[in-house]
Amino acid sequence: MLQKSSLTLSDGTTLDDLIMRDSNEVSLRVMTDKELYDIEMERIFAKTWLLLGHESEIPNSGDFIVRDMAEDNVIIARDREGAVNVSLNVCPHRGMRVCLGEAGNKPIHQCIYHGWAFKPNGDFIGAPVEREKMHGNDVDKKTLGLKKARVALYGGMIFATWNVDGPTFDEYLGDMKYYLDQLFCRTDNGLELLGPPQRFVIPCNWKVPGEQSGSDGFHTLTLHRSLMEGGIMGGTAESIYDQAPGMYGVDVSCEQGHSLRCLEAEKTFKMFADISFEGKSTVERLNLLTPPGITKEMIPQLFNNLSEDQVEQLATIPPQVGGMFPNILIAFIFAPRMDGGSSGALALHTYVPKGPDKVEFVNFIFAEKDAPEQMKRDMLQNSIQSTGTSGTIEQDDADVWPVIMRNARGGVSKHMTLKYKALHGHERPEGWKGGGLLYPGFTKDDTQWNWWLAYHKLMSEA
Amino acid sequence: MTWKTKSTASPDSTTILRGLASRTRVQVGSPVYNALLETLYDEAAALDERRFDDWTAMLDAELVYTAPIRLTRTGPNRDRDVMRTMFHFDEDYGSIMMRTGRLQKSAWAEDPPSRCRRFVSNVRIGELETAGEYEVVSYLFLERSRGDNPENERLTAERRDVWRDVDGAYKLVKREVIVDQSVLGMSNLAVFL
Repeated sequence: MLQKSSLTLSDGTTLDDLIMRDSNEVSLRVMTDKELYDIEMERIFAKTWLLLGHESEIPNSGDFIVRDMAEDNVIIARDREGAVNVSLNVCPHRGMRVCLGEAGNKPIHQCIYHGWAFKPNGDFIGAPVEREKMHGNDVDKKTLGLKKARVALYGGMIFATWNVDGPTFDEYLGDMKYYLDQLFCRTDNGLELLGPPQRFVIPCNWKVPGEQSGSDGFHTLTLHRSLMEGGIMGGTAESIYDQAPGMYGVDVSCEQGHSLRCLEAEKTFKMFADISFEGKSTVERLNLLTPPGITKEMIPQLFNNLSEDQVEQLATIPPQVGGMFPNILIAFIFAPRMDGGSSGALALHTYVPKGPDKVEFVNFIFAEKDAPEQMKRDMLQNSIQSTGTSGTIEQDDADVWPVIMRNARGGVSKHMTLKYKALHGHERPEGWKGGGLLYPGFTKDDTQWNWWLAYHKLMSEA
Repeated sequence: MTWKTKSTASPDSTTILRGLASRTRVQVGSPVYNALLETLYDEAAALDERRFDDWTAMLDAELVYTAPIRLTRTGPNRDRDVMRTMFHFDEDYGSIMMRTGRLQKSAWAEDPPSRCRRFVSNVRIGELETAGEYEVVSYLFLERSRGDNPENERLTAERRDVWRDVDGAYKLVKREVIVDQSVLGMSNLAVFL
C-alpha cells in the first residue's frame, strides 16, 4: 500500500493525482502549475543539498563567488581559517544584495545601501556611525549575521542546504557515493573548474531538464542522432536503431533520485580501435582506454584514491552520464577529437529554477588539476563543443524543452501524461560490486521513475 | 592557444575589454574600408540566408573563433569582466566545418531553422603589421525568430575580427565575440555570431 501524500492544491488536486504511482505516469500539469512551483521552492529547494560551485574557484582567503540556490542568491566565500561559507545574499537590514559582483576577493562585504558590513563567513561586523547604534537599540550583533546555509565539500564540489537538521551529505548521496567517487574523487589533487560557468536561460520549467537528468539514455538515439551521423558514437546513420550504440550497460540509481549510466569501456573503445578487453588486467584496460580526463601517467593515482573494485569498474564499465536529484546533470564522457585524441569532456550542469516557466542552465566545465596544459585546453574545447550554450549535443535539448513547456499550458494538453512504463526492475548483475538499484541491459525508464519517486517523497513532507 | 589556469576571483589584465588596438586607422569611406564593410554585409547575408558553403568559403583555414564569458564585477575589478578562460564558442576551422556539416543533417536545434537578422554596425578598422591584414571591430545585433513564438530571442555583442586579403577576397582569420549578457537570454547558440 503506497503511503498517501499530504499535498493538496487549492483546486483539490492531490500530489497522487499528478504523480501517478500506480500507473507510472506524471501529469504534464506539473510543468506549469504556479502553486506547485511555490511548494517546490520550500519542500525541495530549501530542503535538499544543492551544487553551487567548486573549491578551485575560491582558493584564497576572502575569495568569493555568487550563485543561486533556486531563486535565493548566496555568497560563497573562503574565510581566514580557510573554511568555505555559504550565506544568503540578503542584507538583514533592508533586504538589499550585500554582494553585487559575481566573483572577487573581499575581506569585508559592505552593503552599498546603508553600509552594514559582514565577514566572509557572514558574521555581522557593524553599521556605520557606530556610536549611534544604527543596527538597533539593545540588539545583539550576533543575531544580525547573514543567514547561513549548511555546507558540504565533496571532491571539491561545494554543496549547501538550508535544511540545517536534515539528512547529512553522505545520507543524501546514499549508495551513489561508490560510483560518484569514481568521477569526482579519483586523483590525488582532484578536479579543477577551468573557468566560471556558462549561464543561459531556457523558457521551461526546471523539471523538464530535471527528469531528463534522471539518466534518460533513450532520447540519445533520436534527438542526438547527429552523434551517430558524425560517427562520434559508433555505427552509421542507417544502423542507429539496429545497433543502438550507447544504449546497453548498467543503469544505477537509488531512492534519493540520483542515477548514473555505466557503459562498457570495451564498446566505447570500438569507436577508436577494434581491440578486445578480454583477458586483460585492470591496469592493461586502463592503459588501452584511459577514463575521460585521465592520462596514462595518472593511472597509479586511481589506486591511491579508490578501492580496487572501484578502479576495476572504472576500467571496465565506467559511469559516464547521469544526474543527482533534484537538478544536477553529470556528463563525464569519452569525446573523440578531430585531431585523433580522446581526452574526454567533464561537465556538470545545474538547472536552477527561475519561476515556473524559466530555468537557468549553468554549465561547469572541469579537468583534473594534474592534467597537462594541452589536455586541459583540449578538454575545455571538447566540453564547449558538445555541451552547454553552443554544444552540438545540448543545442538540441534546448530546442525540445521549451516546446514541451508550451504544450503543458494547453487546457487539454496539460492533462496529458508523461509515461514511464518501460521498466526493467531492479536486478543485480553477476559479480557487480556496487550497491543501489541496478538495471542491466537496455536503458529504460527505471532511473527516471526513481527521480519522480524522490520528487514525490520530498513534496509529500511538509 | 595554450592553457593556463587563471583565478576568477583575482582576474588579471587580460580580462579588460579593449577597443581597436591598431593605431593605423583605415578611414571610413576609403576603398579598403568599403570593401571590408561589404564583406561584413555579405557575411551577415550568407548566415541569415543559411548559405553555409558561402560562409565557410569566407573563413581562413587558420581561423580562431571564440566567444568568452562575461561576468558582473565590482570595485577594482569592475572592468575586468571578459573571462577568456571560459567560452560560449571555442572553435577553429575544423570545428566550424563540423558544426556546419551537422546543420545539413539531423540538427533539430535548427530544423526547423530559426529566422535571423544580423545587424552589423559601428565598424572600425585598423591596419595590422602584416600587409593585407586588418583589425575589424563591429557591433552585432542579432534578432532570432523561432517557430511560432512571436517574441524574438536577441543578442548584442562586439566582434573583434582579423580579416586577411587573400587574392583580392577577404578571409576571416580571427573572431572574438564579446557578448554583453552574463546570462544569455538565448536558449542555445545553434547560430553563428
